[in-house]
Amino acid sequence: MVPDYLTVAEAGRLIEKRELSPVELTESRLERIAKFDGRLNSFIRVLAEEARAAARQAEAEIAAGHYRGPLHGIPIGLKDIYETAGVATTGHSKVMQDHVPRQDAFSVARLKAAGAIVVGKLATHEFALGGPSFDVPWPPARNPWDTSRFTGGSSSGTGAAVAAGLVLGGTGSDTGGSIRGPAAYCGLAGLKPTYGLISRMGILPLAFSLDHAGPLAWTAEDCAILLQAMAGHDPADPASANHPIPDYRAALKGGAKGLKIGLVRHFYEADNEANAAVKGAIESAAKTLEGLGCTVSEVRLSPLADWVACGVTIMLAEAYAIHEENLRRRFTDYGEIFRDRMALAGLLTAADYVEAVRRRRELVEELDRAMAGLDLVMTAAAPTEAPPIEAVGKFATFERPLLTMPFNVTGSPAMSVRCGFTDGGLPLSFQIVGKRFADATVLRLAHAYEEATEWRKRRPAL
Amino acid sequence: MTRNELDRRLARLGLEVPERERDEIAAAAHLIEEMTSRLRPAGGRNVAAEPAHVVRFPEG
Repeated sequence: MVPDYLTVAEAGRLIEKRELSPVELTESRLERIAKFDGRLNSFIRVLAEEARAAARQAEAEIAAGHYRGPLHGIPIGLKDIYETAGVATTGHSKVMQDHVPRQDAFSVARLKAAGAIVVGKLATHEFALGGPSFDVPWPPARNPWDTSRFTGGSSSGTGAAVAAGLVLGGTGSDTGGSIRGPAAYCGLAGLKPTYGLISRMGILPLAFSLDHAGPLAWTAEDCAILLQAMAGHDPADPASANHPIPDYRAALKGGAKGLKIGLVRHFYEADNEANAAVKGAIESAAKTLEGLGCTVSEVRLSPLADWVACGVTIMLAEAYAIHEENLRRRFTDYGEIFRDRMALAGLLTAADYVEAVRRRRELVEELDRAMAGLDLVMTAAAPTEAPPIEAVGKFATFERPLLTMPFNVTGSPAMSVRCGFTDGGLPLSFQIVGKRFADATVLRLAHAYEEATEWRKRRPAL
Repeated sequence: MTRNELDRRLARLGLEVPERERDEIAAAAHLIEEMTSRLRPAGGRNVAAEPAHVVRFPEG
């Protein structure tokens, strides 16, 4: 009997010792998908036969002594903007519902090479921006902690599927918070790595200069395992960094002692005021980190709205350029949320875009200066727990400044980490941010925090 | 932004936006205006201030 919930690391250890069969593990996930996904809508497409075949191959390889590593035989899901050879990659949109790529995205190929079993393609907000939408070919994903609640977006299906134990990990993308938002609302660990660390080749773009690919999983350790497979230089992606890739999992063992953390309190106490539950959970997390031997001191940055103005202007302008032709030819084939956000994007001027990119340089340098004597900063990931799905408005992205966007602007590694629950049982999270290419330090602190607290032990009751 | 102004802008963009949605977009246009007003410092920016390069951030 395969447990309902396993982390990637736990399952990997069992598979390595041949105490867990990849075939049985994959079959158990397919059973869970059949049982629960009718309520969660986390999958656009389940690849049951392909997954079974891959699991049989993994099992045979391991039996023959060819164990590839901690992802070998692990069922994962892919946000449906990650291209997959011979399998439709739709962006959750009518506009691309017949798009069947010829090859896998670079990161998908890396995950498969590490032995991961792709169980299916996961829901997203339309083209990683417009959602939750009820007028696109597939319904929006629902939050496993309470199916009347929003998953966060845009990696909505990955958030729901991992939280529900339908897969052990998955991929997301993050242009203004699309990994960290769903991770926060669904109670996961979600890492937006340094810009350029994971190739974007074969991932449908939202905004070229802000798009980051990354993992969502139950723990920081699982994110480290997934990142290890996904990261690496790719000459086919002009933004891909040719930077040494450390052993992220080994780096988790460093502990938190001695790390200097800046707390950006004004982001969530004044600029986008969080509710009492979030504020209390972050204060408590800061105390826990001090107890682990970190120093936590307050830092001030430019107002959150400045960071968001810069990031959202760039995001909308780049997204509009990508979709301009289709918007002219088939405007109403897009869902209403996406297309009306794009109509607003069309109001931006060329000068607005250039000013945003000039402002970006100033903000990148500002964060570098602020972090000169620090290892990390921390702040809120979201101002509240997951709201009711019907309460998310068409222009919500523009109405309250995103707490996650500053670190897309700077390209910094940033991660959502669970730090509590509301009285109603919904997860709460905070955000850890590192210096560029110090992703291992972000994971190390997140892991130390998870090990020191009990939050990871609670799973949603489905 | 007035409805007439929005209609002109959408026509220039070549977007055929359903009638019902136009009022909502016009009502939300102030969000974009407020956002872009934050990009320009009072008194203007140094003329030589360069944009950030897309693929290479300053080393941290």
